[in-house]
This record gives sequence, C-alpha cells and structure tokens, in this order.
Amino acid sequence: MAYLRLAGLVKSYDGRVNAVDDVSLDIARGEFLTLLGPSGSGKTTTLMMIAGFEEPTRGAIELAGEDLTRRKPYERNIGVVFQNYALFPHMTVARNVAFPLRMRRFPRAQQAMRVGQMLRLVGLADYADRYPRELSGGQQQRVALARGLVFNPDVLLLDEPLGALDKSLREQMQVELKRIHREVGVTMVYVTHDQTEAMTMSDRIAVFNRGRLEQVAPPLEVYHRPRTRFVGEFIGDSNFFRGTVDPASGGRVELDGLGLIQADPEACRRIGGGLVDVLVRPERLQLAGPALPNTISMKIAVIVNYGDSVLVIGDAGGHPIRMRMAGAPLDAVREGATVTVAWSPTDAHLIPHV
Amino acid sequence: MAPLILAFLAALFLLAPILIVVPMSFSTAISFQFPPPAYWLGYYRKFFTSEAWLEPALNSFVIALGAMALTMLLVVPAAFGYVRYRFRGKSVVNLLMMSPLIVPHVVSALAYYGFLGRLKLAGTHLGVIVAHGVLAVPVAFLVITATLKGFDRNLERAAMSAGAGPLRTFVHVTLPVLRPGMLVGALFAFLSSFNEAVVALFIAGRGAVTLPKKMYESIRLESDPVIAVVSTLLVSAVVLGVLASLLVRRRPSPNV
Repeated sequence: MAYLRLAGLVKSYDGRVNAVDDVSLDIARGEFLTLLGPSGSGKTTTLMMIAGFEEPTRGAIELAGEDLTRRKPYERNIGVVFQNYALFPHMTVARNVAFPLRMRRFPRAQQAMRVGQMLRLVGLADYADRYPRELSGGQQQRVALARGLVFNPDVLLLDEPLGALDKSLREQMQVELKRIHREVGVTMVYVTHDQTEAMTMSDRIAVFNRGRLEQVAPPLEVYHRPRTRFVGEFIGDSNFFRGTVDPASGGRVELDGLGLIQADPEACRRIGGGLVDVLVRPERLQLAGPALPNTISMKIAVIVNYGDSVLVIGDAGGHPIRMRMAGAPLDAVREGATVTVAWSPTDAHLIPHV
Repeated sequence: MAPLILAFLAALFLLAPILIVVPMSFSTAISFQFPPPAYWLGYYRKFFTSEAWLEPALNSFVIALGAMALTMLLVVPAAFGYVRYRFRGKSVVNLLMMSPLIVPHVVSALAYYGFLGRLKLAGTHLGVIVAHGVLAVPVAFLVITATLKGFDRNLERAAMSAGAGPLRTFVHVTLPVLRPGMLVGALFAFLSSFNEAVVALFIAGRGAVTLPKKMYESIRLESDPVIAVVSTLLVSAVVLGVLASLLVRRRPSPNV
C-alpha cells in the first residue's frame, strides 16, 4: 500500500554520472522511513527530489496516486526540516511557524490557534516572541519542526536534522521526534548518515550506496540480515569471512583459510551454492564452550574497555576478528593471549557473493 | 599592550591630516593657518548662508542619490546572476565589474567628458549621475556579492516548501534577509559619488557643480577657510555613514 511512491528515480547533474541511480521505493502512510548512507550516496538528492527542489532526470514521484514529479515545491504539500534549521532570522518564532499558514492563506484565527498548538507540541510555548538567534540549536530545530508540521503536510522531510547538535542533545531529540511522529502520525522521510539514529527511530531503513538502494527493511532485519556486504559493513560492527557453500552438505560452509563451519542449513539451501560472504556480528562471538560447533582460535591484539562492554580485537590466521563481550573482561582475556571463540550456526549470516 | 600602542600610532598617522581640518574649521584666521589663532563659528555661518556653497551641496546630494539608485539598479541583478549561476567567462565578468576601480579616474573622466558631451549631457545632473553611478559599481558589487554569498539558500527552499512562490519568497524572505547588506552597498555608492572630485571636475561644468568641485575651485582661486568647514562636514558625514553601516550589519531588522 504505497502512499508516497518513487519509481525509477534518476538524477544526473552532468549527464554521465548518476547521483541517484534508479531508486524505487514505496512508503506507507504514517511510516517513519530513514534514508541511510554515507555522504554522496544520493540520499539527500533523493530527498530534495521529493521536496521538489531538484528535478529528476528520469522517473516519477507519486503521492496518494497523484503525479508530483514536475510540480513546484510550493505546489506540493510537503514540509521540510533542514540540518542548519533555515529559520527566517528576521521573524520571531511565532511568525516563523505562522509563515506556511500565511502563504497558504489560512484564516487568521486558525493561524494563531495552529501556531499555539505546534509550539506546545514542541515544548516552546513560552518562546513565541523570541528571535531564532536567541535560541539554542536544539530549540531552533524544534521551531523548524513546528514550521514544517504546522500546515498539516502530507509528508515531512527531514535532512539530517540532528547533525548539528551534540551527542546528548541528539539522543534527547531522537526520543522527542519519535514522540511527535506518534502524536501527529504524519509520514516522515528522514535522511541521516548516522546508523544509530536510523536504528533507533525508523520503521524501515533504506540503505543507499553510490546512488543505488542496497536494501529497504526494518532496522533489525537490516542489522541481522543485510542483503549486501556493504549494508553489513555500514551498519553496526562486523566480522566478514569469504567462504564457499556446498549445496549438498546440509549447511556446511568452507571459510577461506579457516576451515569448515556449520551454518543454517535452510539459508544454505536458499543460496544453493557458490561463493558467499559470511557475516558474524561481534556480539555473537563468545569464548568457546563445548556445545558450539564453530570455533576459531585467535590471538588477542587489543582490548578496548567501554565499561559496560569490552571489544576484543584479535587475529586468526591473518583474519582480523572483533568480539564484543558484555561486562568486564575475564582473566583469560588479555592482550597477547590466545583464546578459542565460537558462534552458533544461526548467527552466521550468508550473503551470496557477486 | 605593544600592539595596542602600535595600532594607535598607525591610526594617528592615518587620521591626523584629516582631523587637522576640524580645528581649522573653527579658526578665525582669514587663510589656512595651524594652530589657529582663535576660535569662532563665523565660517560655519558663512557656509550655511552662502548660495555659492549651498547650491553645490544640494547638487552633490541629489547627484549622490541618483548615482546610488543607478548603481543599485545595475549591481543587484548583476550580483544575483554572478553569485547564483555558473557560466562561461565568469571571471571576465568579475573583472569588468571591477574595471571602474582599475581604470585611473582621470582616464574615466576624460572618456566621460567626450562621451557625455556628444550626448549633450555634459554639465547636467544626469550626466554626473551616469558617470558616478558607474564609478560606484565596484564597491557596491563587492559588498552585495559578499552578502549574497553568505545567504543561506535553504531559507528560500524553506519558504518554497512553506507554500511561497518565487515572488513571495523574494519579498518575504530573500529581500528582508539581504536588506542590511543592500543598505551598506547603497550607502557606499552614495558616499562614493558624494566624495568624487576628479570626474566631477571634468564633466560637471557650470550646471551641476558638486561640493568637491566647488572646493577645488575655491582653494585655487581664494583659499577660503570655508573649505575647512566643508571638509569637516564631509568627514562627519562619512563617519556617520560608516557608523550607520556598522549598526545595520550588527542587527538584522526585527520585522518583515
């Protein structure tokens, strides 16, 4: 059930390289969808095309069945929140928030009421008469949010809105944004390069790489079952091994240089055979117990202590291995020691090698 | 401490020759003399009551206003085009806009003398306005392109997504945000014309004598101490102008 539909979007600035390369995406009404990717991956360009600031070279954008592709930004009913807030410096907070209503010729009485509502929603009811420069970064972004929402847009676009804030404020604003999304129920498309932000806030994540969509899925699926090696590496910490699946062996995978391991037979059957990338998340590695079939002996090079957890970086026959353990390090785990680590068959995720 | 003293000395070195006219304007001496033998306001009275001085002052003011308007008319669209678009020969355009600054004023003056003479504009207000309007282009162009480069285009995008078309975006957002920079550019254009002497000497003729031209003639023919009065007033005007521009820059205007 697509509400906002991107169909084969292409954007090329020079006619040779595609900044956005054949992106198709269906977004449901009320969904919180995040476009995630490194800088230059096309996520912001895609957002700008939805907003109408950039015209697609090819492809179409539809909203509730209507074609928006060639419509001007001011003829769409879409709100935008920018990373640098983009508040009008010569207007008070209240006038900034009222601006879309003035432009859309809402009746006066309704304007005042909606502005009041929005400022209460973002917790800035007492700041109506301030100027943007008199507010902190976090407060300015709340004003921008109120301005983006005040006219009941069909979609709210957010372009790295928390990028300019410091860490603790960012976390606080993530929670706040989720609350506002729940209360207002508006469809949100959120651009970020911060995977934590994407994980904590999204209904679904669309991972971009070099202008293309690598995967669109709920956060946990993107994390545990990345469709490509890029996604697995970009999101979260990872161990990747190269391997070969033998279709007849019932889940056996031959890792290059590390020997046979046991993987999920079901996954192996789906893949059929051939070269695979094997992903094991560092927190799924553990010190070897007798019950685990997949063991690797590694020499510990570095131990990084985070307080609540420990990251152990080691080496197994030339392969770097990362293992994350909850709590404080055990006595056996010290730099220079050799330990045996293992994981359970279902914790190895197989990605067909292309 | 040392840098402060050095800065003070440098400022003194630069300003002393200019500031010396201030006490001289209050002097009782019948010619230029420093230090003044005694002080009075007689020459101020003379300036403000003499037609021979007030008319050039009015001319200068009218011409400076006209030149300012012409400069802004030329520079604002040019600055938008220059900052916002990529095109071939952009650096040449920049050089052309700066050329009135590079060409010696005497050369420009001579050129205008011939050119405006043919158009029957020599010795008219309009003639001087045209020449001064062009001469003020570089300074206004510099100020306004700098302002435009600092302008956040996302403000316009925010306005458009809020439902404002191009015209309303310009009127409600672009213009008000740029206004301080525009005012400073206009002020500099005004001052540039108000203070200009060389071109005025060539083309103002009898019909559009400006204050600097009148001063030059007066100093050659009579070394009238009223000149010190005019100089003091001119310097004060410039100082006020610069202070005003600082004030505009510091504080964005509070309402639309």
